[in-house]
Amino acid sequence: MKLEEQIPRNALVWIIATQFVLLFPHLGRIPLWVLVLYAATALWRAMVYLGRWSFPGGYLKSSLTVICFSGVWVSYGTLIGLEPTVALLLIAYSLKLIELANQRDAYMLIFIAYFVCLTEFLFSQELLITLYMCVAVMVNTTSLVALHQPGQDRFNFSTIRRAGAMMLQALPLMILLFVVFPRVGPLWNVPLKTHTARSGMSDFMKPGDVASLSLNDSVAFRAQFEGEVPDRSDLYWRGLVLSKLDEGAWRSLRWRDIPGDQRRGEQPELVGEYVDYSIIMEPTQQNWLYALPYATTRDRGILRSNDFRLVSPVQVQDQKRYEVRSWLEVPLDVELGDWRRGVDTSLPEDGNPQTRVLAQQMFEAAGGDPEAFARSVLDMFREQAFFYTLRPPLLGENPVDQFLFGTRRGFCEHYASAFTWLMRAAGVPTRVVAGYQGGEVNPVNGTVIVHQFDAHAWNEVWLEGQGWVRIDPTFAIAPARIEFGLEQALAEEGSFLAETPLSPLRFRGVSWVNNLRLQLDAINYRWQLFVLSYDQERQYQILNRLLCSVGQSQLVFLIVGTWALLLVPLAIAMVWRNRGPRLDAATRHYQEFCRRLRGAGLPRPGHEAPTDFARRVAEERPAWAEEVAAITRCYESLAYAGDGDPAALAELKRRVRAFRV
Amino acid sequence: MVRAAFTESWQRYRERAQRRWKRWINRRIPPAKQVTLDQKRVFIFPTRIGFFFLFTLLVMLVAAINYQNNMGFALTFLLVNIFVVAVLHTYGNLAGLTVHAVRASPVFAGQRAEFEIMVSRAGRRQYFGLHFDWLKQDSAIINLDDCQQQHVKLYLRTERRGWYKPDRLRLETVYPLGLLRSWTWLDLDIRALVYPRPLASGELPGVSSDQPDGMAEPIPGSDDFYGLRDYQRGDSLRHVFWKSVAKGQALQSKQYTAYADRSVWLDWALFEGLPPEQRLSHLCYWVLEFDRRNEEYGLRLPGVTLEPDSGENHRLTALRQLALWGSAAEDQAREPLRAAA
Repeated sequence: MKLEEQIPRNALVWIIATQFVLLFPHLGRIPLWVLVLYAATALWRAMVYLGRWSFPGGYLKSSLTVICFSGVWVSYGTLIGLEPTVALLLIAYSLKLIELANQRDAYMLIFIAYFVCLTEFLFSQELLITLYMCVAVMVNTTSLVALHQPGQDRFNFSTIRRAGAMMLQALPLMILLFVVFPRVGPLWNVPLKTHTARSGMSDFMKPGDVASLSLNDSVAFRAQFEGEVPDRSDLYWRGLVLSKLDEGAWRSLRWRDIPGDQRRGEQPELVGEYVDYSIIMEPTQQNWLYALPYATTRDRGILRSNDFRLVSPVQVQDQKRYEVRSWLEVPLDVELGDWRRGVDTSLPEDGNPQTRVLAQQMFEAAGGDPEAFARSVLDMFREQAFFYTLRPPLLGENPVDQFLFGTRRGFCEHYASAFTWLMRAAGVPTRVVAGYQGGEVNPVNGTVIVHQFDAHAWNEVWLEGQGWVRIDPTFAIAPARIEFGLEQALAEEGSFLAETPLSPLRFRGVSWVNNLRLQLDAINYRWQLFVLSYDQERQYQILNRLLCSVGQSQLVFLIVGTWALLLVPLAIAMVWRNRGPRLDAATRHYQEFCRRLRGAGLPRPGHEAPTDFARRVAEERPAWAEEVAAITRCYESLAYAGDGDPAALAELKRRVRAFRV
Repeated sequence: MVRAAFTESWQRYRERAQRRWKRWINRRIPPAKQVTLDQKRVFIFPTRIGFFFLFTLLVMLVAAINYQNNMGFALTFLLVNIFVVAVLHTYGNLAGLTVHAVRASPVFAGQRAEFEIMVSRAGRRQYFGLHFDWLKQDSAIINLDDCQQQHVKLYLRTERRGWYKPDRLRLETVYPLGLLRSWTWLDLDIRALVYPRPLASGELPGVSSDQPDGMAEPIPGSDDFYGLRDYQRGDSLRHVFWKSVAKGQALQSKQYTAYADRSVWLDWALFEGLPPEQRLSHLCYWVLEFDRRNEEYGLRLPGVTLEPDSGENHRLTALRQLALWGSAAEDQAREPLRAAA
């Protein structure tokens, strides 16, 4: 094989290193045997390099391919969807290594690696991941550079330096392209994520669900208010309305559960105060969005459900930004339709008999007034020995009876559920609302950070003339939960994030840790706001602003000009670096002298010694003889004495300056 | 008919284009003993792999669009611009290099001539993967990473006697990314002397000699050793008595008796009736043969007479005369050829 087609040892090492660097962030979502495959192919290729083993034969290769593909099929149950596709790509990337024989194969591998970098971004575009992928791209580019250093088999820094320099130089140009490249909608449908775990709330809730979310310290969404952040106890982020009791679990109405004429819902009259804010939501793989009631949005891609929530027609697969205006005082469903009333008062035929009896008694005691009845239920929770805990005992049959008359320990979903039972048993339309409550205001940038542990369930009761009124039974048990957050509410129990002892959120008391965390969160928010949510609309705004000042046709010149402005200094720097070593000062002065004589028709050829030259000049132009001899003497003493006497140098300089032909 | 006419006109067109190209490149990179590469002399274009890379980027762009993935866009644009700055870096891997012609060794027609060139750098920039390719006959790859200069030897086939001046040398590189190739065509003003191809002719037909008694048929194997003398300049290295050198004594040459006092004229007229090139080939053979036997010989060509002598210098002069006989006067001058405009 010709030398230029061989793969230098360095390049091989870098290529294998790239494989592991790229595999690492994928590890969470691929079957573990893929890692084994990577190790095996790397070992095999290393053995081939050492001359111990040979490349696998065609038969072995094809059977390996078949085995791996079936492996993906077994692991995922399908080959369709984003995750199996990416797994297949990762496997092909790994298998290609054991047929890496010449330069063409190496190019293939390196280009596949660039594509693998892209697939990682389909799952996460967080700042940290992005920084990590920068390193990955750098390592891959380094292997491409190493591939073109023939015969290099010892580690050298020039490879990394070159790759790094090219990336740094490409960076400003990249930003330019990122801003101006026209953003268009998807060209065709692409496989979606199907195996990624859904996170956050689910659309049905049984006792213990919200409690388990409370163990999770990841961010659910961040909200940035235009004006002041409303009071903490007003931050009820509605996500789901759970109206239906299904085998012990509360669940939201499906599309087909809703009769056609009810699907649009009532359009409430917009009165009173409102707040404007934008939300950047982390991907949930679900459709619903979180917002304060009553939420309206100008975003054309977002729908409104009949229970006044915001819904995205496609699952939220990436971080999603939306702008909301919430009318906090608008009454909802002032007139309650029969269908809605039926749904929100229905209970199973049997079960929880004690609860039903208690509800009847209390309703009568309240004089048949729903509002008074609700108040008396809350009073019961407050005054009797009910406890708010993350570790409630398990409930068996007739869970509400058990809870109200037995254990009396529960988390928000227990109280919301029991409250709904009581109200519905007395015929008052009531439903469970699930979402998040509160959030942490980041003093650095004023965003409200809502974590998964802010998950909450509360109730809405329909009252004549007021529509749906929010009632939070948890507030009766543990007002601290609403006013200060979960950590305060669980202070005595000490169960806040008990299972993640290293979570930075547990160290909110230590001020520097907390500051660092909040600063990082602010950076993350900016990243999401300016980079990840940069879309057609944003681009339109920015370019519009540019176009206003420069005019449409000049925009092209602006882009090309900026591009040139970035590239030209680079080119100049390169030419500059290629100049030979800088001549010493004496030689430069002497050359200037020779240049002047050449102007006078007396060129000095390269082989002529300065003294010979001086003699020749003296013969041809006797008038200059003295001065020429002086300059030559001066130069020779400087050139051969070698110590660069500054006085002599100054004299040479002066004489050359003064010399006139 | 039409086809033949087409082929012909195509041929004419190609020749014209080639002439024009030569004129243009001679203006742009004139022949010189040493050439320093700069933006005037370096060309650049994507390689096939480069185009494939751009295609990969297109696929990545489509993926980024379809998933509306901003970091996907960012990655794609980063790679696009790495390609763009690679133009500068690939050019930079030739720029600043100086290529010098060092020497070309003389050979017999049909053999490969050795051309030695030197590459040097001015600054401290590391150059990798410099690929020399001469007429697709010989190539070499060198790095200039930890030394200031490197010598490269390339071997080119020769066909005819005379001065052999090869066409332009191609120096190219795809470093650092292999996506772009920058190259240059160098005319290093270097030429090799090509002697006629030696052609054995059985026996020398009627050797002419000045002395009547000097006439003798050379008898192979009769060159008897008779003694040693002090080495003199011009003695063949093959006759040096190496054993004494190994003992630390002065250089001595072995002396052979046969024909030592006879001189032979290798005459153009000896090969009456043969075409000139064949005569020269035969004469060449005999020059080598007599030199090997360490005999004196003279050379007589139309217009050229070389008095009988022996030794290395004599042999080289004779061979040079044979190589250059009949070629234009300025060709015989020591100054190297100026490329024909």
